[in-house]
Amino acid sequence: MPALLEGRGLTVRFGGLTALKSVDLAVGAGEVLSVIGPNGAGKTTLFNVITGRVRPTTGSVLLRGEAIERLAPFRIAQRGVVRTFQKTEVFGGLSLLDGVAAGALAHDDPDPGARAREALSTVGLQNKAELTALQLSYGDQRLLELAQALAAQPAVLLLDEPASGMNHQECTHIMRLIGELRARGLAIVLVEHNMHVVMNISDRVVVINYGEKIAEGRPEAVRADRRVIEAYLGVEQPAVDAGPR
Amino acid sequence: MSDTGRQRLATAAVCVALFAVPLVVHDEYYLHLFIVSGVFVVAVLGLDLIVGYVGQLSLAHAAFFAIGAYTSALLFVRLQWTMWLGLPSAALFTGLVALALGSVILRTRGHRFIIITVVFAELMRLVATNWVDVTRGFMGLPGLQVPKLYLPGLGAINIASKERFYYVVLVAAVLAYFACRAIVRSSIGRKFVLIRENEPLAESLGISAFRYSMIAFVAGAALAGAAGSLYAHYVGFVSPDLFNFSYVTIMLIMVILGGKGTLLGPALGAVLFTFLPELLREASHWRMIIFATILIVATLFMPRGIIFPLVEHLVPRRWRVRNAGAA
Repeated sequence: MPALLEGRGLTVRFGGLTALKSVDLAVGAGEVLSVIGPNGAGKTTLFNVITGRVRPTTGSVLLRGEAIERLAPFRIAQRGVVRTFQKTEVFGGLSLLDGVAAGALAHDDPDPGARAREALSTVGLQNKAELTALQLSYGDQRLLELAQALAAQPAVLLLDEPASGMNHQECTHIMRLIGELRARGLAIVLVEHNMHVVMNISDRVVVINYGEKIAEGRPEAVRADRRVIEAYLGVEQPAVDAGPR
Repeated sequence: MSDTGRQRLATAAVCVALFAVPLVVHDEYYLHLFIVSGVFVVAVLGLDLIVGYVGQLSLAHAAFFAIGAYTSALLFVRLQWTMWLGLPSAALFTGLVALALGSVILRTRGHRFIIITVVFAELMRLVATNWVDVTRGFMGLPGLQVPKLYLPGLGAINIASKERFYYVVLVAAVLAYFACRAIVRSSIGRKFVLIRENEPLAESLGISAFRYSMIAFVAGAALAGAAGSLYAHYVGFVSPDLFNFSYVTIMLIMVILGGKGTLLGPALGAVLFTFLPELLREASHWRMIIFATILIVATLFMPRGIIFPLVEHLVPRRWRVRNAGAA
């Protein structure tokens, strides 16, 4: 599958700290790529580099083969790389309809209202369009974030822990939505700690530890990788043998 | 009657009332207050674009007002350009100054933005004070005049009297209001609000905060420049006093306590806070204490400003037009 979005040799240093160390990744249209790793591994930094919020020290980000790592965040979004955030970001004081229309307005959509309704309908919030974002439950706010991103007509969607804090039913809904978006041909990069979600919807998984890619492959292969188990998934400790009395 | 019908009736009543002011108010002093409040309406509508819609606290607005006043005054004194040429030139020049300033400072946010606008205003005051060859320093530029108005079929009309100049200011205020309304109702205005509500999110969805903040900053400054020009020709004199910090303070009070992020609120705030200190003169030396108390109480307990809660309290619910917030 040809890559829609590629990161090549991405390295980010903050003073003496190396947040990312020569990370490569690629995702194609209609593919879900999950990025997993312990807290502080560099997953959100990777998203920040791809979306232009942080410039890589070395390396490049290519969208359809064109370098975008020096562009401003709004230009990258206009070209089709749109993200959600780890901490929910919504237009709190505005109605859902007005907030979701933001992405459509950014693309000079002739009918931002219709685009916003369509996005709200996709995530199942169409009946709450006149409420303000702050009137929604946490789970609905996460769905609203997804609707905001969809109205911006992304080709590549970066989802930062979309299932975080959600119950089982909400996680299932999110997984179904991500599946639908993949079927529409979106390239999806997912950062997620919920292994049930990751293992069930990912086409490929990239594992990062201390800013370095330590594994990449299909979910079942990654799950069995010894380095991944040691670094992230954990090793089952044998029961301590107290020995003969 | 339908909401639209009531809205049209209310608009017509306001238009008649505004038109009738010089016919009803014969006291020169109160007419003067109406004219000054009209000038402030133009200026604070511009400030509202920046503070109320984009959410950037600019303290350079009085400086833009003064730059517009000086531009118009200098064009009159040096080139004998009347206010009809001076006013658009002042708006244009002030807009260009804002463009230059904004290209540097609109990349900053929060306290850094505020501090730089204060420094800019002070710098402009020093220029007006010390560039004596051009501005005459503290002596200012006197002798500015109100030009005649040429109307087809009516010839030259003298508009120097307060009764007639009131209509010039009224037209300017109405034009400024409708220009701002066109902006805030367009996709540009909707982007202003999105930037105010959550700038990082707006950027991540493809909206350039810098570009749209710049549009608000330049349009707001141009309106302040136009207001400055009107003021200069009305009072006939400009001096570095126009750069005083008290001007930007009162403009911010008009916007914030009027109801920032709406157009009607700051416009009514401009009228209210021009008249209030004067009406309180009856209270003699208690005047400023009462005024300050009103401001403190309003700031603490009326976060949406004074005008709209007052209207909601005084006007019966069934008479109020729906969607008043859009005003």
